[in-house]
Amino acid sequence: MGTNFGVDLTSLLQWNQFTVDLVAFVLKFAILAGGLLQIPPVMVWVERRVPALMQRRRGPNRVGIFKWRLYGLLQSLADTIKLIFKEEVVPDGAHKIFYHLAPVFCVFPAFLIACAIPYGPDLKIFDYTIPLSVVRVDVGFLFIFAISSLAVYGVSLAGWASNNKYSLLGSLRASAQMISYEIPLGMSLLPIVLIYGTLDLGKIVEAQSSFFKWGAFTAPASLLLFVICMFAETNRAPFDLAEGESELVAGFHTEYNSAKFAAFFLGEYVSMFVLSALASTVFFGGWQVPFVPYESLVAMLGSPNIAAIAGVLMLLLKSTFFMWLYIWVRWTLPRFRYDQLMSLGWKFMLPIGLANVVGTAVVLAVLRFK
Amino acid sequence: MEAFYFVPELLFYILSGLILLSSVMVVSARNPVTSAIFLVLDLFFVAALYAKLDAHFTAAIQVLVYAGAIVVLFVFVIMLLNLKPEALRGIRFSVGEAVVLLITLAGFAIVGSELARTAPDALAPGNLGAGAIELAGGNTFVVAMRMFTAFLWPFEMASVLILLAIVACVMVAKKDKVLGAAHHPRGGSAE
Repeated sequence: MGTNFGVDLTSLLQWNQFTVDLVAFVLKFAILAGGLLQIPPVMVWVERRVPALMQRRRGPNRVGIFKWRLYGLLQSLADTIKLIFKEEVVPDGAHKIFYHLAPVFCVFPAFLIACAIPYGPDLKIFDYTIPLSVVRVDVGFLFIFAISSLAVYGVSLAGWASNNKYSLLGSLRASAQMISYEIPLGMSLLPIVLIYGTLDLGKIVEAQSSFFKWGAFTAPASLLLFVICMFAETNRAPFDLAEGESELVAGFHTEYNSAKFAAFFLGEYVSMFVLSALASTVFFGGWQVPFVPYESLVAMLGSPNIAAIAGVLMLLLKSTFFMWLYIWVRWTLPRFRYDQLMSLGWKFMLPIGLANVVGTAVVLAVLRFK
Repeated sequence: MEAFYFVPELLFYILSGLILLSSVMVVSARNPVTSAIFLVLDLFFVAALYAKLDAHFTAAIQVLVYAGAIVVLFVFVIMLLNLKPEALRGIRFSVGEAVVLLITLAGFAIVGSELARTAPDALAPGNLGAGAIELAGGNTFVVAMRMFTAFLWPFEMASVLILLAIVACVMVAKKDKVLGAAHHPRGGSAE
């Protein structure tokens, strides 16, 4: 008992905390990355089945295992295999390095942002507390904006390096659009920062402990602005000017095929998911189960770990709603014209966003003055 | 036991190396787009260095402002001008440039050694650990408090200066259009 083999016990404890953090980090990142990779195939399937439902068609329903067709779910698997094993054609005039790098620039920011989102309450394993976000940044909001502003490079490089006029035009459109809508996107989240008084996403979720404290109720105008910007930031319909098949063939990825084309898809769907998760985190209470505060959730389920799993499922459910919204809107609204898109962004969204920030600040100042 | 404690220090050297490497690439690359992309990487690694020093706010702002906004404009201009790489000179130092380089390096060495000799404390890290930052109220809070109390006037002056530049840009851009419209009411194809 008395001997500790010459080992300083406090340093052993520290080392353990460090090791636990390291192992948890690697595991969390692996699980997150593995999970994010499953999004595009499933979303492609949903994006074929849902419009089929809306338009009273059947959609893909053939590919399955033997006689089990699984509603054509394995069509996505077949498509993935096809995309990976397709011959890769690189245009002659392309800038070889940037042509290959551009898809990486598209995928990397989306995965990095996904690391900052709090997916659930803390896990408690033995004596260690493991937060359920890959990295906990105290300036979560700024981190997300900073990294998402890097996504522009993937798009503009792809268009430029392809050496194709449709690609270049598409990339110019896409990057101008992304830069323009980044500003109202940031503006739409400022009231949330004012109301909850922190930039830490984890703390914002904790502050939304009861149903009527959700961001959707405290800042409804922000929610509206954010949802509109969300569509524009990911270049999705009705703002999919970057693709504009009728005008630009396929926009910035016209000259891409096989696995690199798939990488653009991956980037797009992952950033759709990330923005959905962000919207759920900020406006719909994140992992909070509606009407059930965290303490009673733990009491009900008997363990903080089961509560954490419930929280993760809750966040996924809320994000699913936004993912559904993406598809729903895509098959409901026609595409905007480019000048309409720009004037909406600069002449409508930005002033309203500014007014929203100032209004929220004034109301908060009055409330706190009393 | 303390096997992993060298990791932060190692990270510092890796990041510094990457910063130096990409800085050299910015000035030596033949293709201007390559230069711009290395500039982005450079700024990104500097931000990573800030983040390693627990200055998360500064790191995020560094990426947001420089990598995310300013260099995007550089890239746009370069892409639209479509400069050919061969039109540009690679690394070929003239005698004058070599002399300037040598003087710069010498000056750097003198200042560095002088600093290390006279004030070794200035190079030592201050009390800026994660705990101290947390105790002071967090990065954002500290920066905001300084900016909106002690440095309020300089801060507002800077923002007015930037606003001035924006207004000037709009005026310069608008002038031609108004004149053109006055001469050619239907877009200038009358004659």
